Amino acid sequence: MMAASPALKLAEKRRPVPVAAAAVGPVPAGEAEFLRQVGVTGMLREALLTVLEARPEEPVAFLADYFEKLALSRAEETGGEVPGPPALQQQRLDRAIWYLRLAHYSQRTAFHNNVSMAYECLSIGVKKKRPGVNGRIYSEVLRRICREGEAPEDILSLLLKKIQCRDYEAVPYDVFRYSTLTCFVLLEFISKANSLYHVLDDSGQADKRVCQAVLGTLGEAIMASDLYVPTSYLEAGSKLRPDCLALAMDKALLARRPSSSMSRREFLSEAAVLFLTKVKPIN
Amino acid sequence: MCLGIRAVPGLVYYGVLILSSRPKPTYWPSGVNRMSRDPVLCTIKGPIMLQVGDVKTDFARAGVAVIDVTFPQTKAVDVQEIVFKNYYTAFLSIRILQNNHHCSGERSRNWRTCLRNYCLMPNPHTEDGSQEYTSLFRQQMLCDLDQVTSLRLILRQPSPVWLHFSLEELQIYHCGQENPQKGFPLWLSCLLSQEQPTKVHNALPDAEKASSEVQQMWMLTEVIQTNETAARIGRFDVDGCYDINLLSYT
Repeated sequence: MMAASPALKLAEKRRPVPVAAAAVGPVPAGEAEFLRQVGVTGMLREALLTVLEARPEEPVAFLADYFEKLALSRAEETGGEVPGPPALQQQRLDRAIWYLRLAHYSQRTAFHNNVSMAYECLSIGVKKKRPGVNGRIYSEVLRRICREGEAPEDILSLLLKKIQCRDYEAVPYDVFRYSTLTCFVLLEFISKANSLYHVLDDSGQADKRVCQAVLGTLGEAIMASDLYVPTSYLEAGSKLRPDCLALAMDKALLARRPSSSMSRREFLSEAAVLFLTKVKPIN
Repeated sequence: MCLGIRAVPGLVYYGVLILSSRPKPTYWPSGVNRMSRDPVLCTIKGPIMLQVGDVKTDFARAGVAVIDVTFPQTKAVDVQEIVFKNYYTAFLSIRILQNNHHCSGERSRNWRTCLRNYCLMPNPHTEDGSQEYTSLFRQQMLCDLDQVTSLRLILRQPSPVWLHFSLEELQIYHCGQENPQKGFPLWLSCLLSQEQPTKVHNALPDAEKASSEVQQMWMLTEVIQTNETAARIGRFDVDGCYDINLLSYT
């Protein structure tokens, strides 16, 4: 019954003992032996390791995804039903993105491993002798990460303006790593900005003056913090204390300017601009 | 006793000294901002350990040592601050000799005690405070420190655990040389002031929550900065200079 399944035909090819011979020859030593022979043991171990590394919130969906990708990569290796080049590239892109999302960037080692896996997997597709990812695929990856994270389009284009490569350029690994990391951090930044907007919006509409005061304070802190001057972090942090922030908001409310509301979208874009000041442009 | 110290051997001070409540010493992180002013030139003698009985045969230690400081050229100094690094001294007394003291007359050259049993180590048997930097200001003293010609520092260590004790890096600063607080940031001094203006406006959003979100956002920008890479694509052109519309036949 198992032999009839088309998916397993591929696995069978690599089995040292054909099914027919096995039936005639000595009986497989036991269940464990069988699992080892067909490669399930190793496969499951790797799957478990990946789960442990990524610690997904929904393990079932994660594993389903994992095995799907695994089947695809097996199909590619064995050369069975090779899809056309555009579809193949799409698959590779899918897989790269999947690698990138496996672990949160705060799990440094896991994230770095996954980035290098993604990079490798994307480099295979490049036919030229020069290894590496070209600018087109690179931009596509960044765009996909941001879109899947539901980043607003205007922020995405601002980001790309800063870290995009031209289609023909070869992208070194370090640039790839930095840019993908930037995308993920930006997504988190946007979600934080979103909840900040929610706080400022508690009365039903966010006052533009207050929003700008808060963003202005954040901007000051971002400007003030300098990696090479450790005390600057104390100073920057002190600007963001609750009482300082309250004072800034209060001052903004007292200012005699017409009050108007600020939309969420507007707020997020302005916040993202602050974030992007810290992103190093690629050159 | 010689040297003008009316001191009894250290052990007597055991119970007494712990009761004394002096203002807490000001501790400096080593060498902060110190370069910007010069200490007064002085001659430092000591520490000389006091011994009871015969110097050669009696090994009992009194637990008292003396450091003498004199200013050269018999110049009198208005002392503002005394800075040193402790080395296992538990208690410090300072006596001074002054020039032209106000009751000038027959007893003008008298030793005056300006600091008595100042606690440097809260518990003499343990390491606490044993190697701290301490700065003593004239405001902490029992008498004025004008026109000082010499100082005598009397160090006590009642604990038998520490055989050697002393003060190191002793520096004396005179008046008019107050620690210049040039680089002292304003935000630091107002950290404690300004009690929270509790909800001046009712319409004001929750500052606590907003602050926590803003701080996290700030932190994320730092993640990006710390992960910066030096790698480059290797472009040679100035941005946009190869734009077809900008090319010219010149």
